[in-house]
Amino acid sequence: MASEERTQELIKGLYDAVVAMDEEQAAELSQVALREGVDAYYAVMNGLAAGMDKVGQLYAEQEYFVPELLLCSDALYAGLGILKPHIKAEEAHIKGQIVIGVAEGDVHDIGKNMVKIMFEAAGWTVHDLGKDVKLERFAEEQQRTKADVVAISALMTSSMLAIPQAIKMIRERDPKVAILAGGAPLTRDIATSYGADGYARNAGDVVQEAVKVLSRLKGN
Amino acid sequence: MPASRQEKMTKKERIDALLKGQPIDHVPFYPFVLGFCARNVGYPLSVIYSDSARSWEAQLWTHEEYGFDWGPIYGYASYGTWEFGGEVKMPQGAYEQAPTHITFPVQTEEGVYRLELPDVKKAGCLPLAMEFSRLQEKQGTPITLIFGGNFTIAGNICPVEKLCRWMIRKPELAHHILQLATDHIVDAVKYWADTYGGEQVIAQIWEPLASNDIISPKQFETFVLPYMQESGNKILGMGVKHIFYHICGEQNLNLPYWTQMPMGDLGICSIGSQIEIATAIKHLGTKAIIAGNIEPNILQTGPPQQVYRLCKEIIEAGKKAPRGFMLMSGCETPPETPPYNVYLMRKAIDDFGWYD
Amino acid sequence: MAQFRQDRMTERERLEALLNRQQVDRVAFFPIHGSFAAAMVGYSKVDVYENPEMAFWARLRTQEMFGQVERVSYSGGAFGAREFGSEVKMPTSEYSMTISLLKAAVQSEEDVWKLKVPDVKTAGVLPMMMRFSKLQAEYGLPISFNSGGILTIAGYIAGVERMCRWMIRRPELVHKLCRIVTDFLVAIAEYWVETFGPERMIPGTLAPTEANQIISPKQFEEFCLPYQKEVHEKLFGLGVKHIFTHVCGEQNLNLPLWAQIPMGDPGIVSFGNEVDLETASKYFPNDIIMGNVEPAVIQTGTPEQVYELSRICLQKGKKHPSGFFLGPGCDIPPKSPPYNVWTMRKAINDFGWYN
Repeated sequence: MASEERTQELIKGLYDAVVAMDEEQAAELSQVALREGVDAYYAVMNGLAAGMDKVGQLYAEQEYFVPELLLCSDALYAGLGILKPHIKAEEAHIKGQIVIGVAEGDVHDIGKNMVKIMFEAAGWTVHDLGKDVKLERFAEEQQRTKADVVAISALMTSSMLAIPQAIKMIRERDPKVAILAGGAPLTRDIATSYGADGYARNAGDVVQEAVKVLSRLKGN
Repeated sequence: MPASRQEKMTKKERIDALLKGQPIDHVPFYPFVLGFCARNVGYPLSVIYSDSARSWEAQLWTHEEYGFDWGPIYGYASYGTWEFGGEVKMPQGAYEQAPTHITFPVQTEEGVYRLELPDVKKAGCLPLAMEFSRLQEKQGTPITLIFGGNFTIAGNICPVEKLCRWMIRKPELAHHILQLATDHIVDAVKYWADTYGGEQVIAQIWEPLASNDIISPKQFETFVLPYMQESGNKILGMGVKHIFYHICGEQNLNLPYWTQMPMGDLGICSIGSQIEIATAIKHLGTKAIIAGNIEPNILQTGPPQQVYRLCKEIIEAGKKAPRGFMLMSGCETPPETPPYNVYLMRKAIDDFGWYD
Repeated sequence: MAQFRQDRMTERERLEALLNRQQVDRVAFFPIHGSFAAAMVGYSKVDVYENPEMAFWARLRTQEMFGQVERVSYSGGAFGAREFGSEVKMPTSEYSMTISLLKAAVQSEEDVWKLKVPDVKTAGVLPMMMRFSKLQAEYGLPISFNSGGILTIAGYIAGVERMCRWMIRRPELVHKLCRIVTDFLVAIAEYWVETFGPERMIPGTLAPTEANQIISPKQFEEFCLPYQKEVHEKLFGLGVKHIFTHVCGEQNLNLPLWAQIPMGDPGIVSFGNEVDLETASKYFPNDIIMGNVEPAVIQTGTPEQVYELSRICLQKGKKHPSGFFLGPGCDIPPKSPPYNVWTMRKAINDFGWYN
């Protein structure tokens, strides 16, 4: 079993590997962590996911851009692929379930994919509907999975008009589910006017926003 | 859309001069354009009929943009159903255009004799129409009360098929409904005349159900003419100066009767594409301003060249009307009409409609 | 039509004057509309991408209706995709606006090395573009063709995500893509100039993938700047005088780099609503600048909001020494209320005169 000091060294190594976009290092250190008895869930949350959190911050600060984000996520998934099977079921605390997709008429999914990465890194189960999603699919998938949150994005100004229709369909079947809306042409005011409960300007802030929205809704 | 020629009159001056039979600078455009205005400004179609303030806004902005001369206006063809106690539905779907009947006030013969005259201050759309007229007064645009003609109102009180059967089998029932419709028209116009002064009000009467696609000229003579003459004379007796008749659809065989309607000084008669402008001038041109008559179907689906050519022909024919002419669509311009085609109606006036 | 102040110049005269650095009577209203133009004339969105004649008339008629600059262009939608063998999706959905990429032609590193410049007379939408340009020539309008953006077009060939990963992992692959795109654009320019002569050309560099929402300024500097500069310089070498460049989206960090790319004498540089026009003016003092009312506000805002944004743009843009066009920050969405678009022209009438 690794000592506390060694554990923290490995955790930092995982964190740094993600931030440095180092897939190989992330994979290797994940193997080492397992070999040395570091708890897999602990390694994921405090190493890989924490690293991705930092990446999100760097993206929000315009230090990192999409190419960096993509490669950081590759490093994240390289580590996750090794550690996840070793997470004990009773330990794995699923933070929430989210249905995510790009609105009908829109195939631009980089933003959505970034958001998906951030949620997965944070320990959520993500049901990804992909892009150009027919409006009724959001409500259907939320009903099927009983997801806590639905997140809908649009990059094109024309497809943002689909979002209030999709929200209406979701609410007709479950008035209590939390809904996030986002994408380049949206603002918080527009998202609110569409009936969304939350909005995030970029992938770096979105998990926090989802947690805030959920606790606000549960408090009501 | 910017006009290419500077106007010499404001639109108020132009309409006022037209109604007085005085010279004007160019043919005015009468916008029979309602749901299109909602689409043009991004409002739901239903507000044109259910929300007087937003209906006003949508129309006023659209008129400003396109350079229309008359209006805004408030009214719809199924007038009478709601006012006499039935139900209407506001337009919602992609293929709907105006309020439509859900239930009619009269379904049986017994129901006819239970009909009562509505309270014009509260019935149906009249409160909305009155709010709308307040805006017309405030803005200095013609204060126009729009309602079905006597026969159209009757056909909105009981389904028109029933009315048609009764005209032959039980004419007394048809006459009873028509008399009520006539009395209601007089009541409504009186309310407007009392509120604004008779000389400020223009009574506008839409009569689509009296078209020859439904009734014969003989039936028009029996069931339309006397009632419309009665209400028309009473309206003019209130001081109203102009009655505007929208002679909708195929009504060529009815024209000799339309010439007998009280018009005022001047009347205004708008016609559908089924009546030639020259024919309308021949029958009505000495008593009324003629308005019309671009085919709405062509506006909605025709290529621009066809729309433009049609407008040119109509303007050239209409300019010969001795008491004046307004370019107008033959019936309501469909909401889904390509905006460029609407623009062309006004452009054609700019190109061919000047009185030099 | 609306009664505006009487123009002292036609639209054509106004554009000519600006391109010759002469004074104009008022600010001109520049059109960027593809599927919006379709809605104005009753065509489908697909029509204005797949039928050059319908594309031409839709745009020209919409420009006429709104009193806009007499310039129509046809970029083909997802330009670069079909030319290099990518699959595309037509804008058939109620909520779609333009052609989008379905499957990139390049799926692997090997595919990059196999890429060749396609035949500019037959590839993809180029024959349709040529038909469109022949109509431009017939009606005496400026003739357009695509002159960029380098990375935007490369993204349609290889997929943006793949290209982004390669920027860091395999930069030589991205350089190869950019080189192919550069050579392709120059070949198009040569063909167009050979057909029409260079005098009436205003080609278009449309650069949304270059935005900082996707790439960093360093990545712009490495992968866009040298190639885009080369294309523009070669176009000028062929006798083209003016290029229309649309700097789309958030590109504030790229502005010092765009400023190193020659735009023309003058060029026309248009900006998304993310770039302040006063900032744009500082970076492009010798070019006409254009913009930049936010398209989302044109689509869903009130007329008052559109009018106010237009007023602010006019206030800032009118000061620009080399001339200014009022326009949207990007393509006008097809469901925009026409009244909102007209409100921009109204704002020009109220605030856009040079007395």
